[in-house]
Amino acid sequence: MTADVQTHRAQVLGVKGLVKHYGAHTVVDDVSFHIGAGETYGLLGPNGAGKTTIISMVSGLIPADAGSIELAGSAMTPASTRVKGHIGLVPQELAIYPDLTAKENLLFFGRLQGLHGKELKHRTGDVLELIGLADRAGEQTKKFSGGMKRRLNIGIGLLHRPTLLILDEPTVGVDPQSRNSILESVEGLATEGMAVLYTTHYMEEAERLCDRIAIIDEGRIQAEGTRGELVELTGGVDRIDLHGSGNTGAAATALRRLPGVQHVDGDASGLTLTVHNGPGLLAPIVAEAGGAGMALSSVEIVRPDLESVFLHLTGKALRD
Amino acid sequence: MVANDLRQRIRDKSVVIFSLLVPLALMAVLNLSFGGFDSGSATLKPAVVIASSEDSGQLGDALLEAVESLPIMDVTVRKVAAGDVSRETKATGADLGIILPAEFTAAVTSGQALSVQVVEGDSAGLETDVLISVVDGLLEQFSAGTVTAEAGNIAGLPHDVLGGLAQQAAAGTPALTLSEGQASAGQLSLKGTLVAGQAGLFLLFTVGFGVLGLLAEREEGTLSRLQAAPVTPGTIISAKALVGFILGVVATTVLLTAGSVLFGVSFGSPAVVALLVLAVAAAATSLTFIVARLVRSAEQANIAQSIVAMLLGIAGGAFFPIEASGFLATLMDLNPIAAFIRGLGITAGGGGIADVATPLAIMLGFAAVSTLASRLLPDRGVRA
Ligand SMILES: Nc1ncnc2c1ncn2[C@@H]1O[C@H](COP(=O)(O)OP(=O)(O)O)[C@@H](O)[C@H]1O
Ligand SMILES: [Mg+2]
Repeated sequence: MTADVQTHRAQVLGVKGLVKHYGAHTVVDDVSFHIGAGETYGLLGPNGAGKTTIISMVSGLIPADAGSIELAGSAMTPASTRVKGHIGLVPQELAIYPDLTAKENLLFFGRLQGLHGKELKHRTGDVLELIGLADRAGEQTKKFSGGMKRRLNIGIGLLHRPTLLILDEPTVGVDPQSRNSILESVEGLATEGMAVLYTTHYMEEAERLCDRIAIIDEGRIQAEGTRGELVELTGGVDRIDLHGSGNTGAAATALRRLPGVQHVDGDASGLTLTVHNGPGLLAPIVAEAGGAGMALSSVEIVRPDLESVFLHLTGKALRD
Repeated sequence: MVANDLRQRIRDKSVVIFSLLVPLALMAVLNLSFGGFDSGSATLKPAVVIASSEDSGQLGDALLEAVESLPIMDVTVRKVAAGDVSRETKATGADLGIILPAEFTAAVTSGQALSVQVVEGDSAGLETDVLISVVDGLLEQFSAGTVTAEAGNIAGLPHDVLGGLAQQAAAGTPALTLSEGQASAGQLSLKGTLVAGQAGLFLLFTVGFGVLGLLAEREEGTLSRLQAAPVTPGTIISAKALVGFILGVVATTVLLTAGSVLFGVSFGSPAVVALLVLAVAAAATSLTFIVARLVRSAEQANIAQSIVAMLLGIAGGAFFPIEASGFLATLMDLNPIAAFIRGLGITAGGGGIADVATPLAIMLGFAAVSTLASRLLPDRGVRA
């Protein structure tokens, strides 16, 4: 999807100049973005970047210290009871009642959202199908696997067909199979026209799901755009991943001095570099790393991706 | 929201355990240790008392009658001349001899020192000890000038009488009431106090499943969903408070009913008792607002609630009657649990709504004041 298309979409969420301090620490620093109807918008950043704090302000859980939030044409604050009906929140931590069955959880939160009667019944049935729990609907959720709980956690947020669905790192701690089914359901939602705000620290998820992505670090949006726009920011630099053991610290120091190398980051098990002209620099890089005492097990040249963008913008690797 | 909470609380069984099973078990244990000397109990054998009654007034006979009609044991009083009591007691194998002086009534009513001689039988056993304690207690009552009022008031007995066997003996002695016709000032038997006290004490735990459940929801993560839903914070808090209140009313009703059936205590008019239960549940629920303001976590909340429950419960007389005087007594009078037990004492004695107006006012006043106070306290816990 291109930027041109989005300008024609009705705006669902508009965030301007959002700020949050905890003590002397500015956790969210002048954050602005907007999301249109049917758009999936990603907040991509490492742990502690401020993603959950932004989402808590957007959902009206905590007040902002400065800035404004407009949701479906109305201002959103913790006191905006009516406006909250537009939001479907899927918190980062599981938020379901262990002593209730899957169906009872859905019915309860559905009623809380003002659904009732036939509509509530139908939506509950539909959502149970969608999250693949129809045959386990009558079981207490404390007996569910982690993946099943996660899916129910998401289902509750979808129940009342919110204008904006907010998913806070919904795949953390989930097995690969459940993860894939979660990603598939999110992809399906966008086609139904729901606006989605999706936070993650996995760049693959952001790349796969999101129409536009904000790269966020230390409370600030470092860059924003479609995947293509973001990758262009790197100026066409390649990424080189070195895997191995030995003296990676000394290797990093040596590689930083090499002309054409932009950033180097990593740990004992490997290094990630951004470089101009990757293929041309491959030989000297391998030689320098080996000379500094690093034993290489594999070397990979990667076309620019969001990982490269993050490294380019912040000098840090995104992976944890 | 209320129905949902109730369903969960019942399903996770913690309410059933903490609000019903534990207090019932405690009642049973306490009842065994305090109330073992029940009428018809095999432990106390029928006893014979040899007594002289040369008292010119009424009190000597009143005392002997009280001894004879003790509900905890079958006592026969045989009257002989003062000089024969000692010999007769030894000869017949009686349990106790009592020699009441001729000027007994006169001495009591004029507040003079008096001595009542008792003779232990040769086969002196548990029964003799119990009888001596009872006579001792009665004499204390008499000389305290309380003969015409509330003689059955266990809490009115001097503390030394409340020790050991004497306490056990006193356990089932509402019949020590010498003056009749003052029913609505009546008091509970020790067993009744026990049942009422335990019900009141555990009520303070039970209501904690309401508002304090919000803290647990925060830890479970569901609070953020509630807060992000289109309902006002006031609605959420009220729903939780209502849950605590309903659980409290149900648990207290069950405990009082079970207690009175199992331990043979009667609390009087069900309608008036119901009013007392509603009032004390309101008072207890209001306390959870304050606790919710002062704590930061569910764990702290549980600890704080336990401390509050034990303090109010013990001061209210949940385990044993407590007496205080002066300022402390006034303070203890304002304890809703104490007011609840007092109220039940009044209904047990046949009192009606008008008679329990004061305890009701205390409990409802307490509810109003602590609800108000919780509004003024700085919020450390749940945002409301
Ligand atoms: N209630 C709070 N009090 C103090 N600091 C907080 C609080 N919530 C979050 N933080 C801090 O704010 C920063 C951002 O946290 P968060 O928004 O949870 O990040 P993310 O969701 O991106 O991992 C972190 O440094 C975190 O420690
Ligand atoms: Mg987070």
